Amino acid sequence: MSFHFIKDQDFADFLTDLIRAKIVVGPVAKTSRQQEKFVFARLTRVQDLRLDYDVTILPPKKEFFPAKQDLLRFDGPRVKACLEPVEKVLFGVHFYDVKALDMTDALFKEKNEDRNYTAHREAATIVVSNIRKVFPRAFWASIGAEVKPRGHDAWLTQIVGGCVFETGTLKGEALLKFGRFSEASADQVAAARRANEDMGKQCLEQLKGTSASNAKKVRAAFGKEELWTKFAEDCFSCGSCNTVCPTCYCFDVQDWWNIDQKSGARTRTWDACLTEDFAKISLGAGAAENFREERAERFRHRFMRKAAYLNEKLGGPACVGCGRCSAACTADIADPTTVINSIPEA
Amino acid sequence: MAKPKVAFFDFTCCEGCQIEFTNYGDPVFLELLNHVDVVEFREAMSEKTTEPIDVAFIEGSFSREADRPRLEEIRKRAKIVIAYGQCASTAGINALKNHTADYKKFVYGKDSEMPHLDSQKVLGIDKVIKVDYYAYGCPVNKYEVLQIVSHLLHGKEPVIPNYPVCVECKRQETICRYDVGDYCLGQTARAGCGAPCPADGIPCEACRGFVDKPNHDALVKVLSKRAGMPKGWAEDKSRMFTANQRGDAK
Repeated sequence: MSFHFIKDQDFADFLTDLIRAKIVVGPVAKTSRQQEKFVFARLTRVQDLRLDYDVTILPPKKEFFPAKQDLLRFDGPRVKACLEPVEKVLFGVHFYDVKALDMTDALFKEKNEDRNYTAHREAATIVVSNIRKVFPRAFWASIGAEVKPRGHDAWLTQIVGGCVFETGTLKGEALLKFGRFSEASADQVAAARRANEDMGKQCLEQLKGTSASNAKKVRAAFGKEELWTKFAEDCFSCGSCNTVCPTCYCFDVQDWWNIDQKSGARTRTWDACLTEDFAKISLGAGAAENFREERAERFRHRFMRKAAYLNEKLGGPACVGCGRCSAACTADIADPTTVINSIPEA
Repeated sequence: MAKPKVAFFDFTCCEGCQIEFTNYGDPVFLELLNHVDVVEFREAMSEKTTEPIDVAFIEGSFSREADRPRLEEIRKRAKIVIAYGQCASTAGINALKNHTADYKKFVYGKDSEMPHLDSQKVLGIDKVIKVDYYAYGCPVNKYEVLQIVSHLLHGKEPVIPNYPVCVECKRQETICRYDVGDYCLGQTARAGCGAPCPADGIPCEACRGFVDKPNHDALVKVLSKRAGMPKGWAEDKSRMFTANQRGDAK
């Protein structure tokens, strides 16, 4: 681990050279009716990179686990896996999204390792950017503080006059050759630490309690049906909260044939446990059973998964406080702080 | 194996969904003909058949009692019946008629009392005959139709989404209409279209109808709270394509 510094005036050259040499994915603006939102997209020029973004519509997970991914292609009896990992640099990821990637890394690795995820993940270099603008619905400062981001290769922090670039892995070190970096001074390193710490004070939405106390009370509320029915009263079962979530990892697999009816693909698509048919299973002979038929059951299930069920496996809640679900929910009932804070202590 | 015999039939509709079937372009359409035998399709051929068929695509709503025997006769001859398009599936836009009494006068003027214009409450065809699968949409998504045909050819259940359009918007990072001060019906609308309208900056109007269990009360709330629609407007807003699926269906 080492600390480096790059001056403001050298930053564009660094990125330009990096973009020339590698596939670089970073936050860029997307607009509709003058409303600006952000998405991770491949950079072709440094001017498009928006490190002042607050949050992206989808988390960077999509680079390794896209919304729709061919697992294998077939042509008659011939079958070929589609695993063709591409080396890329994810530049400007916020630390909460790294925490989420650490979780999907662990979940896709456990038991039967899912190479369709891990191979893409291993081919990536991840550069964190300090948060320069806080998303109004974010609450990353008050959830899972005991879980630190681990999966990044370097961490870029803007301070006066330039950026401190902290490398944590060989992959991170390998980026140094693209820019005019000097060794960071102790003052610069301290300034970077303060810049990252101070941002938390601007994160106004707050989850009360500790990870353990929240896990306990959410779990204990399982049987309070009236509570969940009330929470889910305006739920559309639209799955938006799942689809934008950086730690959701469920998918559905289907086979599709091309028009020749011989060739085709086996494809996985993101699934969402809030949608009505998620838990619908076949009983054979055309019969089916849905084991989470009511929307309150599905709403409750998400909170169990995010606040309690996975905690032991992940070392903390399966929620990083990005605030994407809160913003994506048009009924505004998905906000984990509102829901969990209003559940009485067990 | 002989190619399955496929036929198209139409009832109360604009036949736009059948036209969609001719819009694949030559390479796809001609390749499709290597796998199915189209035996009746009046948009593209003059032959008709009274023989048994494997797949009947039935377009259009049930709007006259006189159509019942024809529907029943098609059902008897067909191994699989697909409600083809929103009119056949739920009576779609036709069902708006169920909410008015004076439409004939406004549409047909002095001819309004001619007997052939008489029609009854408009329904999807599954209120008359058993339907095996639904190709939703006004018009149908022709690529989804290809997949339904393909899955049937391979003995697989067709994959027809029962989740809302929001899922498809989020997957492609479309900016939510509500985030730009617009309205949208995507939260209750059946997906499967790929959500092209919001991606083009246009609200979803639910042309594939509602999902099986839409939360319409919540939609009314969000339309008035977030999109600023007056209450009555918010309550009526979703009716265009869903008149027969709403709580106030006639």
